[in-house]
Parts: sequence; C-alpha cells; structure tokens
Amino acid sequence: MKVLLKYAGLFQSFFKASLMSELEYRFNIGARIVTDIIWYAAQLSVFEVLFKHTSSLNGWSLSETRVFMGILFVTDALYMLLFSENLDRLGAKVRKGDLDLLLVKPINSQWMLSFQKVSVAYAGNLVIAWAWLLWALFQIPSFDWFQLAWLVVSVPISIVIIYSIRFMTSATALFFTRADAVNYIWYQVYRLGTRPHGFYPIVLRFAVLTLIPIAFLASVPAQIVLGKDGPLILIWGLFVAIGLLKLSTLVWQRGLRAYSSASS
Amino acid sequence: MLGCARLAVLQQLEYRFNLVADTIIQPVIVGLVEITLWLTFFASTGQSELVGFGREFYLAYAIWAAFIARLSASWMYEMQMIEDIETGTVNSILVRPISFFEYYLGQLLGYKALITVISLIAPLVICVALDLPLMVERIPLALALVFYFIVFGHIISLMIASLGFFFSRVHHLTVAKNITLWMLTGEFFPLDLAPEPLRSLLVALPFSSAAFRPVGYLTGRLPIESIYDGFISVTVGILVLAPLATLMWNAGRRRYSGTGA
Repeated sequence: MKVLLKYAGLFQSFFKASLMSELEYRFNIGARIVTDIIWYAAQLSVFEVLFKHTSSLNGWSLSETRVFMGILFVTDALYMLLFSENLDRLGAKVRKGDLDLLLVKPINSQWMLSFQKVSVAYAGNLVIAWAWLLWALFQIPSFDWFQLAWLVVSVPISIVIIYSIRFMTSATALFFTRADAVNYIWYQVYRLGTRPHGFYPIVLRFAVLTLIPIAFLASVPAQIVLGKDGPLILIWGLFVAIGLLKLSTLVWQRGLRAYSSASS
Repeated sequence: MLGCARLAVLQQLEYRFNLVADTIIQPVIVGLVEITLWLTFFASTGQSELVGFGREFYLAYAIWAAFIARLSASWMYEMQMIEDIETGTVNSILVRPISFFEYYLGQLLGYKALITVISLIAPLVICVALDLPLMVERIPLALALVFYFIVFGHIISLMIASLGFFFSRVHHLTVAKNITLWMLTGEFFPLDLAPEPLRSLLVALPFSSAAFRPVGYLTGRLPIESIYDGFISVTVGILVLAPLATLMWNAGRRRYSGTGA
C-alpha cells in the first residue's frame, strides 16, 4: 500500500509538472488537439466513403463502424495522454545518455520512463472521442446501454496491451544504435488495429488476436459493446495483457544489461 | 544542390536497415492492410465492380498508393527544417552559398530518388505476382508528376518551418499537414469514390497529384489528360504558395536573431 501511495504521489507530481510545461506552449496544445481531430477525420473518411457504396461490410453497418471508431479514438486518446510522448522519446533518451539520470533514481526505471510526461493536451481529445462515441451509440436505437459497462474492463486491457507492445519496440533502442526502423514498423502494426479484425482474412485475424494482439486496441472492445462477441474473450485479453506486461519488463531488464552509457 | 542530394543519399545509406524498413516494409504493410479492406468490400457486397472498375483495379491502387504516397510525403526533412530554426542550427546554413530552401530541396530530391530506385521494385513484383493491372510504360510520366509535386510540397514545408521563427514549437503542424494529406491525396481511397461536390474539389486540388493521379494513371484508371491536369494544378499551387512562402521566410528571418557560438 505504501509503495502504491508513493507511486501515486509521484504520478501526481509528474502530472503537475507536465501541465505546467504544456501551458508554456499553448499554441502547441491547440495544434495537438487539431492534429488528432484531423487524424480522426482521416480514419472516418475511409468508411464514410465506402459506406456510400454499400450498406454493410462483413456484417458491420455504418453505425456500428462509427461506434468502433469511437472506441478506437477513446483508447488512442488515453494511450496518447499517458504514454505516447514517453515511449516515442525513449530511443532519443538512450542515444543522448539521458537514460543514465533516470537509472540512478531510487524508483522503478520502467515505470518512471513510462509515466514521466503526461501529454495533458490529449485530455481535450479524450473528451472529443467520448462525445463521438456517445453520438455514434445514440444512432443505434436498439443499443443496450448496459453493454457500455464492458469498456470499464476492456479499455484498461487494451491500454496495457498497446503499452506493452509499444514499450518493447521502443526498448529495442537499448540493443541497437538506431532503432527508428522498429518504430516505423510499430506505426504500421498500430494501423492494423484501426480496422475491425473481422475485416481481415482468417490467418491475419488469428495473428491480431494472438501473435500481435492489436485487435484489442478497439476491435475486440467494440465487438463486445455491440454484442457481436461475448465478454469471454476478455479473459484471453487479460491473460495476454498480463503476459505482455511481464514480457516488457523482461525485455527492459535484458536491455539494461546490454546498455552502455552514452553520456560523459 | 546536386551536392546536397548526394549528401542525403550517403546519409541514408549509413542506416540501411532503417532505409529498407522505411521504404519497403512500411508501405508493404500499409498496402496489405488496404488490400484486405478492398477484398472484404468486394467479398461482402458481392459487387464485381465499383464505379466501373473491378476488384483488381482497387487492389493495384491500394498497393501503389502506399508506395507513391510515401514517396511524395515529406516528414523527415520538414522536421529537420523546423528543428534547425528552433535550435539555431539554421545559422550554419544561412552563411552557405546556397539558400535554406535549396539546401533542403536538394537533400529531399536526392533522398526521394534513392527510395524510388529501392522501393518501386516491391509494388512491381506484387502486381506481376498477383496479375494486377499495371501499365509499366506509364511509370516515368507518373513519377515525373510525383517529383513535381515534391517541389510543391517542399514549398509548404518552408512555410511551416518559417512559423518556427514566430512560435516556439511547430512540430505538430507537420504531423497535422501530413495527416491532412492522407485524405487529400487519395492515399486511403481513390478520390473519385468521394461524393460530389467533394469529389471534383479533391481531384482539382494539387494534392491529388501526390497519389490519386499518378496511381490512377499507371493502373489504367485515369487517362493521360489527368496527368497533364495534374501538372497544371501543381503549377498553379506553386505560383500561389511560392510568393507566400518567400514572404513568410523573409518576415521570419527579419525577426530572428542567431544565438550560440
């Protein structure tokens, strides 16, 4: 309990420091929110255009696809808020030797690296994402609103899975001089999660649920909320999330053993 | 400028795995994700054609658009231009006998020429292997339009970078611009699928020359006239934006004072 309180206190301090630092660059806050709105529009445009030419795609209607997109935006906004900046900069920290300063602190280095910077601007996107999701759900007259409660379980599972995969790809910076390529590939893997996994051929569908479980980003939560899938799949999701989190810690510890300082 | 282009090629060849991931692995994954969407569309709707074109046209479009859009986009050099202005590194370029614009344009074109040579083999092989529609003889003209668009895109990059003189952090504008281009260029879907009047507007804008026009032309979806229209549209874009970019750059430079030893 004492440890938990210590980490909660630290997170609070990180949050305050991040907020102060972001308020220094107010133009940047607006730019970030607008950027994500454009990203939302880009994702939506594909389906909005496709559904002009059909009423159903592999059992998904336009209204259901909008719900899927809403859940994608919510999960994405949460991930961006908590982890994006920390994990995107991990490689640079290793290269510039900034990692050394973190390693000597009396705190879990993986935790500190992951939570040090909270991208407060994305809180605005979270609000927009929720607004879109609720609007999309209102378009389905028969929607059972109790189903929405499954998000309380499924979204944290999604976040842990996405965090763990991204953390491991970022941690490759400890093994290679420049791991930019792995980051490029991460962005494309992430893209796989921006479509309902039911759209993919069977082999790929299996892969995004097991080998690279990116389907948990939005597709699985959306299927459960819309009643297309039973909540039992969340047990598998929980198992995957715990396994990947554990694996990310192992990769980090292994990486630290391979790491040699870059600063003077 | 040729020296700058050579410099860019040498720099990129230093990290060959990064280069392969950036130019081949990335667009292949993007193309495959888009292909699955089109396969799903045709399988679930039971349609054999969409606006007059069969499934193979859309598969060819998806794979080529991923590569051509990657070729016409500018992330890395635009970010570097912004960083140069933010950190003051721009000082070292300002004293050289070449303009900031030309210095980076040379590097950008060199880099793009390199990735053209490396990356275009992949869509060619995929199209031949899957027997998708492709008119090889149309590739040079399609690429000429893409490279002309790159010059236009670089003018936009200069405008964004110039904002760095006025605001402390403008990196997100690059991200915003490039994501906007995903929609405007036709990277995600052929622009002629959009409903009117959006369709006419999207096709008329110079951004369609970054993916829709060249990909549509080399996959047989569009006639040669669309390429000519693309050149005209990009020229108009350059004529409109070039004076504006010059104005912004000059205003920024007047405001800027160099720091550092």
